[in-house]
Amino acid sequence: MLRFAVRRVLESVLLMLGVLVLVFFLVRLTGDPVSLIVPMDAPTAQREALREIMGLNDPLPVQFWGFMSGAVRGDLGSSLRRRGQANLDIILERLPATVQLALSALAFAVLVAVPLGLAGGMRPGTAVDRLARAVGLAGQTIPSFWLGMLLIVLFAVTLRWLPSFGRDGPASLVLPAVALGFAGMGQLVRLTRSAVLDVRRADYVRTANAKGMSALRVSLRHVLPNVAIPIVSVLGIQFTYLLGGSVYIEVVFAWPGLGSLLENAIRDADFPLVQAITVFISLFAISIHLLTDLAYGMLDPRLRRA
Amino acid sequence: MTRRTVPTLLLTLFAMIVLPLVAQAQGDRLVVSLSSDPTSLFLPRASDRTAHNASLPLYDSLIWINDDLELEPALAESWEISEDGTEYVFHLRRGVTFHNGEPFTAASVVATWETGSDASNDYANFFTAASLVEAIDDYTVRFTTPEPNATFLTTLAFSWGMVPPAYIAEVGLDGFAQAPVGTGAFRFVSRTAGDRILMEANPDYWRAGYPRVAELEFRVIPDASTRMAAVQTGEIHIANRLSPDQAMALERAPGVEVVSYLNDRAYYVGFKNVGAGAGTPLEDPRVRQALNYGSDRFGIINAIFSGQAEPIPGFIIEGNLGYDAATMTPFPYDPERARELLTEAGYPDGFEISMGCPADGYVNINEVCLALQRTLGDIGVEVNVEFRTTNSFWSQPQYGAVGAMFVDSWSSAIGEALPRLEGALVPGNYYTAWEDERFAALVEEITLTVDRDARAALYREMHELMRDDPPFIYLYQPTIFEAVNERVQDYAPRAAEEYYLFQVSLD
Repeated sequence: MLRFAVRRVLESVLLMLGVLVLVFFLVRLTGDPVSLIVPMDAPTAQREALREIMGLNDPLPVQFWGFMSGAVRGDLGSSLRRRGQANLDIILERLPATVQLALSALAFAVLVAVPLGLAGGMRPGTAVDRLARAVGLAGQTIPSFWLGMLLIVLFAVTLRWLPSFGRDGPASLVLPAVALGFAGMGQLVRLTRSAVLDVRRADYVRTANAKGMSALRVSLRHVLPNVAIPIVSVLGIQFTYLLGGSVYIEVVFAWPGLGSLLENAIRDADFPLVQAITVFISLFAISIHLLTDLAYGMLDPRLRRA
Repeated sequence: MTRRTVPTLLLTLFAMIVLPLVAQAQGDRLVVSLSSDPTSLFLPRASDRTAHNASLPLYDSLIWINDDLELEPALAESWEISEDGTEYVFHLRRGVTFHNGEPFTAASVVATWETGSDASNDYANFFTAASLVEAIDDYTVRFTTPEPNATFLTTLAFSWGMVPPAYIAEVGLDGFAQAPVGTGAFRFVSRTAGDRILMEANPDYWRAGYPRVAELEFRVIPDASTRMAAVQTGEIHIANRLSPDQAMALERAPGVEVVSYLNDRAYYVGFKNVGAGAGTPLEDPRVRQALNYGSDRFGIINAIFSGQAEPIPGFIIEGNLGYDAATMTPFPYDPERARELLTEAGYPDGFEISMGCPADGYVNINEVCLALQRTLGDIGVEVNVEFRTTNSFWSQPQYGAVGAMFVDSWSSAIGEALPRLEGALVPGNYYTAWEDERFAALVEEITLTVDRDARAALYREMHELMRDDPPFIYLYQPTIFEAVNERVQDYAPRAAEEYYLFQVSLD
């Protein structure tokens, strides 16, 4: 087990290094941030001075070393645009909004998908099963930003039930959480339904039915615990996806989280901030995967040899 | 029971959604949208129009450009300019205090110049336009410029928000940017990054009777469709930067009024006589005229902008000093004339040329580039459009990364064409890709001419020169669309998308 754990940790570290290298060089392929910061008629001398101050005149290897040595010490540099603010502070300021949105989206997905998938799987071919399949398909095919706009038009503009944007208490969370969680919900409905379809043919379910147990008790006592394992393992992946994948939704709903920050930083060519956000999200995702792998390894000895 | 479980859950969820919780914009709080999160509320670092507009309510300059684009006293009650145009003496208003209680004096003006000139500021050049600022006494300040500068006063009015020296010394520039203090109509209250900026009326404001609302809130809403929705629901009062289609849809919305005005921004195709443009047919003035006659700017405006833009006659456009609608007319679309000129220039079969385009850099710009390719193709000029990401497009001096021609635009916030003339035609400037001594000399003369009427005459001369020997294909100036709640009174955005909110009230 120890060798397995050490190998997985080393692999994660290598992966993280790969991400750092990729991010650093990719953002630099996009051009010179100073030309987007200063006004068009700024004199060349001013551009040069700013480039010098921002360290953009240093040779790439020097900049890269500065970035890497900072990153491993937990220093993600400071923003080009938000002068004097550490990137980590900017990120931590926005993180709660994104975590709140991701958790709400996940809660929405689970609360709708699990009962629906369970009901559909237990009674294949019935109306509720058709509904489950339709919802599953819709969730996986409707683009989330488009759904977001539809929700705004219906619930904010037409019905005036909910705010159209921003982060102003629980009401403002509903539309972005639904829009963001919708795709994950689709995936979960399909997963739950197919898992239930497998489990319901199992001997212990047939036995429970034969004993005269009610359908609900069979679902909750025997089916649900057995389909919970794949669902829970998918939830971890979903959560990291929701954290990183909320860019569109945060922009559409003017949600002040990491996604809208990233969009802003990319548009502003704020290299250090783009790097920092990407590194932060990657670190989070890689850690979750590492923990999942280690947990699997502990639970299932066969994986340790793989 | 299973049958009931699912509907019950769905109903519960629905009931959660149906709670009528929409927050309307509050009574005496003006809520204005911003299309991006301002990088800073410190004017010298407010690096785009959005940040500039969000900062303006906090500050005043010595002078103000009023809604008729005339200079008016603000924190200076009067001023004199020396004979040679290089010294300005301002007599300051007494009894003005900063939001933190610090008195506004000549020392504040000197401190504003010193902090603004810091090389780390985006707009340092607006402050280094003065080579010296000195206090003569507590309420008199003398500015010195290295040479006469036609736009010095407008630059001063536009970007010199006065700052309190003691407070800056205490918190530093970075600290100041976090909690800015000025003399403006509104005081900074709080800011939630990426979300909102809250300000409250300054009760000691020197302009009696202003501001006219108790609170001012900026909300960051990056997506135009969401801004459009939010102004309809009443969550915000002013929604800016809408597309023509969105504005048209809002015409029918109850309680919302659409505001539209021509933007002081010239869109053009720049020719290069340096780099990739040197030695090409573009060096012949007849070819450049032909390309102007052969560009269907009217068709582009109708097809791509639903008619919501104006063709421009040159770089001096509507609203600019020296503009004259009677004598300044756009090149007509005349492919016949274009072909004649090309034949005269020795290119009866046309030629092939490259044109850089900043992909998605401006509204509909990709379509404009492709339309130009087609319309110039009709006169035999085969244009190879090279799309570049905006960042790489503007990354190199003289548009070094792109072809022999390039599509771009240039705005002006001072009611004069000088910034774009200077930026695009004076050799040595970063984006000057057409070098011609005659243009440079005339721009220089305009820069040094402090007298307004004389300057207007020079602008007209400049227009003629740029018409006969065009360094650009002149395209269009767009219409800006905004939507305001019907309660909003006296909102007057400027042609440069700039607005002052101290006059705005809510019914």
